[in-house]
This record gives sequence, structure tokens and C-alpha cells, in this order.
Amino acid sequence: MEEMILKLKQEIIEVLNLEDVKPEDIDNDAPLFGEGLGLDSIDALELIVLMEKNYGIKLQDPAKGKEIFKSINVMADYIQKNRTR
Amino acid sequence: MAQERSVLITGCGIICAIGNGKEEVLGSLLSNRTGIGPLKYLKTAHTEFPVGEVKMSDTEMEQAMGIEPGTPVTRTALMGMIALHEALGEAGLGSDDLKECGFVNGTTVGGMDKSEQYYTDFIENDTRNQYIRTHDCGSCSEMIADRFGRFRYITTISTACSSAANAIELGADMIRSGQADIVVAGGSECITKFHLNGFNSLMILDRGQCRPFDAERAGLNLGEGAAYLVLESADSAARRGVKPVALLSGYGNACDAFHQTASSPDGEGAYLAMSKALADAGLRPSDIDYVNAHGTGTPNNDVSESQAMKRLFGDAMPPVSSTKSLTGHTTSASGSVEAVICILALRNGFVPVNYAWANPMDDGIVPNMELRPSHPLRHILCNSFGFGGNDSSVILTATD
Amino acid sequence: MVQDIKINILSAKQISIQNPLSEEWMESPLAYTGSYVPAIDPEFRQFISAGDARRMGKLLKRALATSLSALKEGGVENPDAIITGTGFGSVENTELFLEAMVRDGEQMLKPTQFMQSTHNTASSLIGIHTRSHGYNSTYTQKGMSFDCALYDAWLQFRLGKIKTALVGSHDEMTPVFAGFMRKADHVRDGEICSESAVSVLLGTGQDAPAYCTLDGMVILNRPDADELAEAVRSLTDGNAPSAIMTGMSGNAENDSWYGFLGKLFPNIPLLRYKHLFGVNFSSSAIGFYTTACCLKKGVIPACLTEDGITIKPDGGILTVNIVEDRHYSVSLLKPILCGGL
Repeated sequence: MEEMILKLKQEIIEVLNLEDVKPEDIDNDAPLFGEGLGLDSIDALELIVLMEKNYGIKLQDPAKGKEIFKSINVMADYIQKNRTR
Repeated sequence: MAQERSVLITGCGIICAIGNGKEEVLGSLLSNRTGIGPLKYLKTAHTEFPVGEVKMSDTEMEQAMGIEPGTPVTRTALMGMIALHEALGEAGLGSDDLKECGFVNGTTVGGMDKSEQYYTDFIENDTRNQYIRTHDCGSCSEMIADRFGRFRYITTISTACSSAANAIELGADMIRSGQADIVVAGGSECITKFHLNGFNSLMILDRGQCRPFDAERAGLNLGEGAAYLVLESADSAARRGVKPVALLSGYGNACDAFHQTASSPDGEGAYLAMSKALADAGLRPSDIDYVNAHGTGTPNNDVSESQAMKRLFGDAMPPVSSTKSLTGHTTSASGSVEAVICILALRNGFVPVNYAWANPMDDGIVPNMELRPSHPLRHILCNSFGFGGNDSSVILTATD
Repeated sequence: MVQDIKINILSAKQISIQNPLSEEWMESPLAYTGSYVPAIDPEFRQFISAGDARRMGKLLKRALATSLSALKEGGVENPDAIITGTGFGSVENTELFLEAMVRDGEQMLKPTQFMQSTHNTASSLIGIHTRSHGYNSTYTQKGMSFDCALYDAWLQFRLGKIKTALVGSHDEMTPVFAGFMRKADHVRDGEICSESAVSVLLGTGQDAPAYCTLDGMVILNRPDADELAEAVRSLTDGNAPSAIMTGMSGNAENDSWYGFLGKLFPNIPLLRYKHLFGVNFSSSAIGFYTTACCLKKGVIPACLTEDGITIKPDGGILTVNIVEDRHYSVSLLKPILCGGL
């Protein structure tokens, strides 16, 4: 799981172009949206694309994204349970 | 209203999903006939999305405009030509008259319908180079304008969904400042894979018929079309002996300055645009008899626009409807497509219905569902709010 | 009611193939050969945080950086109008989105790339960043995009609708699109395909120091010789300017379009800037910027003149931009001391 979380953080940093952020800077339980990393609705959409591209998980409803992307841990857990790739 | 140089509308033309020309469009509006349905003309993998296509193929439009087969031309330009032809016809403007006229065209996709087809050719060979020249927005406007004669000034505005409204505003400013007596202004946009996929990536498309201002709305349906208004000074109309079909009594442009793809929760940009238009026209909110809303059917727009309207009108909300559930969202052309719909409403005494609405929003306006107006229509406010917070409103007024 | 008011150029900033956000090109211009030369970027961190910049391509960063510089120098935080020109928009993102669409069969496409490729993104970004709720619009008329944006501002100043306006034009390139520019004859033999971003702050009624004044402008589509001559005569009131800034580039066909100036103003020096800044759809903004710099400094440097001799622009400079021998844009800029009303 730890390896998966590291990989997930690197993917998020890459896809959202978070130049100054390193994986160790992201707390696993910190909120990704609003405070914490301060991501917004467009970033959420990019993460939805990432989920499909890298893990084969298709999200039809953007509102669901808000729950799944709450934190790294929540996201990793969801991927673990639903990935098809 | 105190205008030193009032802006008359002496002609208009339209083509969209609910009709080719004003007569057909009027018929659809009066019988609540939607133009939204399964994809027919655009070749895309995403056939799951209903759209409001113009019911003509490129070839049919080329034939209608007498264009030689094989001439490089784009779908956006073809629609533009058809609408411009109708507008110039109604205003009685021939080729020779155009050398004193301006042409202001709103489009954001330009020739992308061809570019996306031939992109690989552009890179790998020289067989489609003539379509590289039709790719950009400015070339699209030139193609439309050049078909009819030599306009004195040609320009193109690309502010996404408010492009045509902004084109009308520039045209009116040109007349008010004495730079031109006649300016034809509006917009044209065809559906392309590029922006169908783009909107899909933003997850704001409805897989069913869109339902603006409905509590269960799930997004927009893309549409396509073109429409132009012939804006003219009173002096010029008098000289030519033409009567206006309506008046452009006010307009306003403001920036929401909130986010690139979402509108602010309190609808600040929308509120400012509408307020500016009213101030420009010398009117109060209570003078407005109908609002043709931007009303795309997205969760975000409809709540934001409702907020803005509530701030402006308070408890005295006039009838409001979105006609995008009939035409689809014609993006860059929507400002002028809907302005022409408003002119038809003024001249034929009806209030467009918010087709497909059923459930009131908790936090939204309740739209008009009744064609028959409760009192004579004098002033209509028409909203167009684009991505990036480019918000514009125009006010159409009945002639005496 | 139209007012004849003095419109000042309060500041003008550029990012191009010359050193960015500076006027070093006036004394020591960089020389280039080659088919396509990308712009030199400044350190963007001084204007834009990493977080904000994460989603911005080159065009957006340059548009924002030149805008913020121009606003700062001109002492304005929220201009009454933000009007932007671009010929092709964010080409990088358009290319990425198109390629992905063609390659991946319309699946899993990136919303950021689509969002950025819409032409009005730069103008609205400036509005968002500065929290300016005023007028905001974008013009996309190929090599006339800046001129059209300027024209809109000029109309609004004269109608009394605005007191300040940020007018800019920005175009970026990629190697692929640079190839398209040549195939489509938008960039010709002898010309270098380049990138540029220019932001100009204009204002009326300010006490702040200004570069010069904009005395008037006219844009015409396919004018005949008489119409053109008459338009220029009414702009200049029959007085010859000190020099004329032209879009001559070293390409014979392009340069031939400017031949009429020799007849209208014999012996008036013709200036050029495209040999220093290259050619793209926002080039005319560079022409305007270089003109404003000359008037501000009170000298036209040798690098802009045909015979390598400096000129004093006391009588003002006429700027002429011609696109495809059909669109003609002429503006008259005057020095602060002897211009205006």
C-alpha cells in the first residue's frame, strides 16, 4: 500500500503540474481540496482522467470525485478496491 | 431613453437547430418544437450526447449558397453565410452598400471542424494546406463577409459563449461613435469534435435532453448555428427609407473575475453585465418584460444566474426562460441566435417557453412556461455568459 | 457623445525574441537567423506563484507577466477595460488536445488543455488575477488582432465609457504550428516565425508620466488608393510625421504593400521592427510598442531605421500594419510635449 501511495502522489504531482511539491510534502490525511494542497474543480476533473487512465476506474459523476479525493488515504483506498488495471 | 445616436436593428438572419431562417425558427418557438436529438452530421465516437445540429449537411449548405464543390470552406463559415444572407436581404443591403458597413463576427472554434479532420495531413503532407488557412477565427469571418461584397471593417471576437453578444456591443459602439452608419454583428459556430470532447472532459454535458433551471438538470446540450443583426443609425435608416424591426436600447459587458470555467456563486459578473445594460438603456429592472437567460442547464450556471437575477429584480422577477433546451447551446453564436429569438418574440407577441422544465430548484428562478404574455412586450433582456467570466447582456426594445 | 480627448500610453511591456521586459533591444538588439525562434522568457516566479502557474502555458504566463508589469509601471490596479488580441490562441494546448483526440480515440482527454485552448483564456485570466470586473473582450483577427483590440479601447475612450484600458496581444508557437504558419503563407520567405506578448496600458486624464499619446487610428478592409490616402490625410491633418513604423520584413511581396507611403510622405524615413522581433499574428503589437518606446526616449534608434541613423521623433510617428494586402491599420502616436489637445 505504501508503494502504491508513493506512486499515486508522484502521478498527482505530475498530472497537476505541482512543480514545487514533493511526495513527502503531501500529508496522507490532509485535505487535497480547499486547504491543504488547495486544488480546485479543474484539478478534480484531471484526477478523474488520471483514475481512468492509470487505474481503469471510470467516474461518471463529478460530484463523486469530491468524496473520493478527500485525502491521499481515502483516494488510495478507493483505488485499491475498484481498480481494473 | 436618452441616446444621441440610437441604434436601430433593420434586419436579422438566423440558422440553428430549430430552423433555417426566421420563419422556421418562429414556427418551432410557437409550437415548442425542440431541435435537440441524436447526432447526425458530426462524425464522432460520442454518439451518446444529444445535440442541436443545424439540419443541413455541409454539401447541402454549399449548394444553398452556390459554392463551387471543392472550394475550401468550413461549416461555421457556411452557417454564417446563410444567416448573413437573410439579414442583408431583410435590411435591403446589396453588395455595393457594404463598402460603408462594418462586419463584426463572433466565433471561437473557427475552422476547427476541418482542422480536426485534416490535422494529420497538415503535418505529414501538403494535400490539405488550403485548410490551414481556414483554421483561425479571423479567416472564418473573412470567408463569410467576402461572399457578399467588400465590408469596410471586418473583425472577429472570441469570448466563448458571449462572442456574438460582444460583437453586437462593438457594432453598436461603432455606430454611437460615428465610425459607421451600419454594422452587421453576430456570430457563428458549428459543433466540432474538439469542443464536444472538451465540454465532455469538463463533465458538463447532459446525456439526455437538457433542462435549464430544473432541480434535476445535469448539464448542457451542445448546439450550433449562426445569426446576425443589421445595426444601423437612425439617420442612415431614414436616408434609406427602411423601418427598424427592433431597437438595441442598451448593452453591458463585465468580467466575473472568478474562475476560468465556473461562475461565481453570487453571479457578480452576470449581475454587473445586466446592471450595465439597464443603465446604458436608461431603464429600471421593472421595465424589463422578459429575460432570455443564458440558462445552459449546467448545475453551476443556472444557480449563479438565478442569484444574479434575484439580486437585480428582487421580488419583481419578470418572466425568464432559456431557449437552449430548444436550440442547444450554440456557444459563440448564442448571443445573436438568442437576440434574434428575442426580436421574434417582440414582433410576434409571445414569450418563449423554457422547454423540458419540470422541477423547481431550491435556489433558482421558476422559468416561464406560458407562451402568451400577460402584458405587451416592450423591453427584453438577453444574457450571454462565457467561460472565463466574459459576461454580456443586451436589451432589445420594440419599435413604436 | 464622442469626445476628442487625449489618450496617453502609460506603459508598454513585451516578451519576445529580444530580451524580455526590457528596452535593451534599442541599444543592443539580439540578431537571429533561422526559420522559427521561440521567445526568451523572464523568471515568471516574480509575477506568478508556482501554484497559480501550474495550469498556465507559455502564452498565458507571458500575457499575465507583461500585463502585471504594465499595470505596475502605469500605477493602475484595476483597469476599466481589459482587451486582448490573439491570432491563434494557445497553440501548445490546442496541439496537445488535438493529438490526444486523434491518438486516443476521444477518450480520457484533459480538461486543462481544452480550457486553455479557448482564445479568451488570457484576457479572462488577467481579469481573474487582478480581480477586475470591468469590460473584458478578445479579438482574433489574425495579424490585426492587436489593432482591433486597440480600436475597441479607442472607441470606448472617446465615448467616455472608460478611463483606463489594458490592451495586449499574445501569440505563441510550437515547431508544428510554425510549420503550419509557413504552409499557410502567414510567415513568408525571409521572415522568421517568432512568438511575442505585448501589454499596453492606456489612460485619459492621468497626471502620471506617459510614453506618448494616441492621436487617432483607422482600420480599413481592402481600401482603394484614394480611400487610403484620404484616411491617412485626415489622421495626420496633412502634417508629415517624423517617421513611419511599418511592418516591412524583408519579404519582397510584404514590403511592396507599403509602397504607397513613399508617395504620401516622400522623404519621411520608414522604420521596421520585424527583422528584430520576427513575425507572428501579434507582431503589430510589437510595432506599437517599439513606436511608444521611441517616443518615450525621444529617439528612434539606429536598429529600426533603414540607413542605421538615429532620428528624433518630434513630429510623431505613424504606425502602419498591413495584413495580406487587404487589412490596413494606421495609428498616429505623438510625443507628450507637442501632441494632444
